[in-house]
Amino acid sequence: METNPFYFYTSSSLVELTGEKANTLEELLVLLRRCTGSAIFYHVFQSFRERHFAIEKYHSDFAQWVSTSMDEETLAEKLGSLDIRDFTSIRSLRELMIKTIEEYVHQYPQSKERQGKTPFFFCQSVSVVMPTKHIAWGLEDFYQIIERIGIRSIHYHLIEARLRLGIHTNDFSNWLRDSLRKEKLAQRVEDIDIYLHTLEEIRKKILHHIEKEIKS
Amino acid sequence: MPSTRLMDYEPIVGHQNLEELYLLAEGLKGKRIKMFNSTAMGGGVAEILHQLVPLLNDLGIETQWEVIKGGEDFFVVTKKIHNGLHGESISFPPRMKEIFLEVSRENLKNTNLDGDFIVIHDPQPIVYIEAKNRTSAKWVWRCHIDISKPDEGIWNFLKGYVEQFDSALFSSPRFSKGLVIPQFLFFPSIDPLSDKNRELEPEFIDQVLERFYIPRDKPIITQVSRFDRLKDPVGVIKAYRMAKRYFDCRLVLAGGWASDDPESEIVLHEVQTEAKEDPDIHILLLPPTSSLEINALQRASSIILQKSIREGFGLTVSEALWKKKPVVGSAVGGIPTQIIPNFTGVLVYSIEGTAYQIRYLLSHPDVAKKLGEYGHEYVKEEFLITRKLRRYLLLFHVLSHPGERIIHL
Repeated sequence: METNPFYFYTSSSLVELTGEKANTLEELLVLLRRCTGSAIFYHVFQSFRERHFAIEKYHSDFAQWVSTSMDEETLAEKLGSLDIRDFTSIRSLRELMIKTIEEYVHQYPQSKERQGKTPFFFCQSVSVVMPTKHIAWGLEDFYQIIERIGIRSIHYHLIEARLRLGIHTNDFSNWLRDSLRKEKLAQRVEDIDIYLHTLEEIRKKILHHIEKEIKS
Repeated sequence: MPSTRLMDYEPIVGHQNLEELYLLAEGLKGKRIKMFNSTAMGGGVAEILHQLVPLLNDLGIETQWEVIKGGEDFFVVTKKIHNGLHGESISFPPRMKEIFLEVSRENLKNTNLDGDFIVIHDPQPIVYIEAKNRTSAKWVWRCHIDISKPDEGIWNFLKGYVEQFDSALFSSPRFSKGLVIPQFLFFPSIDPLSDKNRELEPEFIDQVLERFYIPRDKPIITQVSRFDRLKDPVGVIKAYRMAKRYFDCRLVLAGGWASDDPESEIVLHEVQTEAKEDPDIHILLLPPTSSLEINALQRASSIILQKSIREGFGLTVSEALWKKKPVVGSAVGGIPTQIIPNFTGVLVYSIEGTAYQIRYLLSHPDVAKKLGEYGHEYVKEEFLITRKLRRYLLLFHVLSHPGERIIHL
C-alpha cells in the first residue's frame, strides 16, 4: 500500500503586546469580547508551552490570573477545566469563557468590580511555521523522529493542530489513521491527557504507544 | 578572547533548539542588520550587543553595531531623558532639546544606514528615525527601560519619534504603551557561558569563600546588588535577623557601587551600621570585574534574595535561578516575570514576608530544590541569550510579513 509521508513542521511565536489590561472581572469580560482570536489562542494554548517542563495548576493564563490575582478559585477551576479537546474553534471557546464568567459574576456580584492584585495584560501571538527536514515514511521513521524532534514541533502537531484542522483530533492521529490505517494507535495518541503531562512526558507516551504497536 | 559560537550552546539548550535557529536564519540569509546604541562598553545594553551581534553573524546574517557619538552635554541630556522615562519628574528646557537633536543629526550625516533592519536601542539614538526615508529598511525601537510611569513631558516628546518606527520592543507587558505601531515582548537575557553564569569547579567556589572569610558552617543567604536604597539592603538585614531567630544562617550582601551615585557611600554606611558587627553578616564591596566571584557566591548560597523596592528587570534573579537556587524576590519591576509564585520562586511584599519565606525554605529543602529546578528550566526556556536570538529572528520574519498572524516559511 502506498502511504503518504508525514512532514514534520515546527512553529515559534513572537508575543505581541496589545497595551490593554484588565484589573477586574468586569474589565476582563469587556476585553475578552473584543480581543483578537489570536489573544485567546495565546493565553489558552501557547503561553504554557514556555512552561512545558512542569505541570501547573492551570494551563490557561485566564484561569491562572483569576486564581492568583483575584482569589476567585471557583471561577478559576471552571475556566481551568475547559478542555481544548472539546473545541474546534476559538469562537466557541471564547463564547464559553464569556458565559462562564458572566454566570459567575451574576451569582457573586461583589466579584465583578473588585480589583485584582495585579492586572491581566492582554497579549497575542504572531506565529512562524516552518518545515523541518524530518519526514516519516512509516511507523519506524515516525518513532525515530518523535524521539528527537523539538517540543515545539510536538506542540504544533498535537495541540495547535486541533484548532487548525477544526476537528477533534491532531496531526499525528490523523496521519496514523488515514495513511497507516492504524486506528487503535491513532486513538491512543488522541487519548493522551495533555493537561496532566509535560510535553516531554507526552513525547514518551507517544513513543510507548508506537513501541507497543510495532511489537504487536 | 574569541567570540562564543552558537554551537557552544548546544550542550546547554540542545540540538533541537539550535536546529530551529538555523531553520529560522535560513530564510533571512542575505539580510543585513544594523544596531545602534550609545556605548560600546559598560552597561547592560552593550553587554547584550557584545553577545548578540557575533551570534547573528554566526548564523549568516550580516549584523553591524555602531555607537552614537556625543559630548558631555549630549549625555547629560540623555541621562535626563533616561531618568524621566524611569519616572523621575524632570525639566526639559528647549536648549536641552536642541542639543539632543543637533548631536543626533550631526551623527546621522556620517552614518551609513544601508540595511534591511535597523534596531535602535534606548532613547539616545532615537532621532535617527528622522532618516527613515533614506532607506527601505524596517526600523525597530528596543526600549530596555521601565517606562510604565514616565515623566509625561519626556514621554510625549519621544512618543512622536517612537510612532515612526515599524515596531517597538519592551521587556515587560507592564512597560507597553498605547502606540499606533506593533509592540512585542522581548525579555532581557543572561549568557550561560559567561563568567557570571558558567559552571564552576567546587574547589574554586571554596577558594572564593575562603578569600572572603565566609565559613560554610551554616546556610548562606545572599543578595547580590549595588548598595542602593532601592535594593533595600537594610530591609534584607532585618529579614535575616527575623529568620535567624528560628534558623541559624549567614547573610552575604555583595555588590559594588555606582560611581555616578553619590548616595552609594551613605547607603553602605547605613548597611554597616545596621549589621552591628554581626560576624554572620558579610558585606562585600566588589569591583565591577567580580563576575566569577559573584557566580561562586551565588552557587554557595542556600537562598538568593532580591528584596528590591523598585527594579528594572532584575536579571540577578535569572542568574540565581539558572544556578538552581530558590529565590525570594519582591513583586516589583521585572521580578514577577521571572518568578512564577511558588513555582519558579517566591514573591514577597514585606520584610516580614521575606523572613517567613527564608525560614520556610530553610525548613523545607525539598521545596527549595524543586523551586530551583523549575526556575532553571524556566530560565532555559525564556531568559537565555539563545532565546533572545530566536526572538530577533522571529521579529525579522514578522517585519517582513506585515499584518500576517501566521507566517508560513
